[in-house]
Amino acid sequence: MRVLTRSLEVWRLGVLNYLEALKLQEKLVSDRKGGKITDTLLSLQHPPTYTLGKRQIVHNLLVSESQLKSMGAELHYTQRGGDITYHGPHQAILYPIISLRDIGFGARKYVETLELTMIELASLHGVKARAGESGETGVWVGERKIGAIGVRISSGITSHGLAFNIDPDLSYFEHIVPCGITDKEVTSLKREVDSELPAEELIHEQLISCFVRLFGYNNVIWKDNPSLCDQQS
Amino acid sequence: MAMRMWASSTANALKLSTAIRPHFSPAFSLSRCFSTVLEGFKYANSHEWVKHEGPVAAVGITDHAQDHLGEVVFVELPDAGSVVSQGKSFGNVESVKATSDVNSPISGEVVEVNSKLSETPGLINSSPYEDGWMIKVKPSNPSELESLMGSKEYTKFCEEEGGH
Repeated sequence: MRVLTRSLEVWRLGVLNYLEALKLQEKLVSDRKGGKITDTLLSLQHPPTYTLGKRQIVHNLLVSESQLKSMGAELHYTQRGGDITYHGPHQAILYPIISLRDIGFGARKYVETLELTMIELASLHGVKARAGESGETGVWVGERKIGAIGVRISSGITSHGLAFNIDPDLSYFEHIVPCGITDKEVTSLKREVDSELPAEELIHEQLISCFVRLFGYNNVIWKDNPSLCDQQS
Repeated sequence: MAMRMWASSTANALKLSTAIRPHFSPAFSLSRCFSTVLEGFKYANSHEWVKHEGPVAAVGITDHAQDHLGEVVFVELPDAGSVVSQGKSFGNVESVKATSDVNSPISGEVVEVNSKLSETPGLINSSPYEDGWMIKVKPSNPSELESLMGSKEYTKFCEEEGGH
């Protein structure tokens, strides 16, 4: 019996600056399009960073850029879908660089599966999360948002991805209308769980495991502290 | 025409899978996923269609593509006068927090852009082959059309792509 091997290379990058992560993704997308590399997953966190999606809905940023800088945060304009959001320490980020054509997924199914990944992670900690209603893509606990999604798909290859709040400083969200949705709170796993959370590294690993399972990978290659200048495939 | 669009968007709103979408063209084939594929159009494997009518070719995305994208909320198109190349991106659509590039099935000069899409991006969902057309191109190399798929091939392609 032949089993189709679905390989995923996982890069655990620690805390990485947004622009560096973007440059890395661009290189990986190009390599993936050229068939030089297999599906790749970046697992990381960012220093305090605000990002806008392709539509650049700047009025959802409630403070000036210079105020952001004085808070020690960066602002970046990106090519991903979705609205404004905040990334920061203690928020788990996954950037999958994968071929959707290999699995016959369209944008909608891809995003739904990313939502499921976060929902499963939450349930591992006893938190009942759900996908957003129409127009509110993301993962919610009640009326509070715990996970956000913003992706880019180019010739069927994905970049950007998801952000799951483990225990970020939620006050940073007060300076934006998160994802352009007013009147809804942002929350974190820490807030939703009664007991002590396990080590963050473990939660990152759990998030990766949920992703691996939901996307049907059966061969995982771990790459820790990879050289970002690595030109070899 | 208006009734048909209403029916289509109501079906979308109610999340019904409409197996048969009425259309002006007499012959259409059904793929297993119940998307419409039309005769007389040519298809790229990245799910764009092209319809060559005289000196100009209209380009858009297929019913299969719009269904897989979800509700389109924003469309970015090139300016008239820009040059497009077969297989290369000419714009993108946003749906469900995903920005997806759209590739041109043919090379040439963009002569017209569908301005209705900025106000009503949902036309891509409700009418992917008619009112949801994206650009019109003056083909620089009409023989490129021969490398594209016809309706039967494309229907088969969709079925195979989805079947994992």
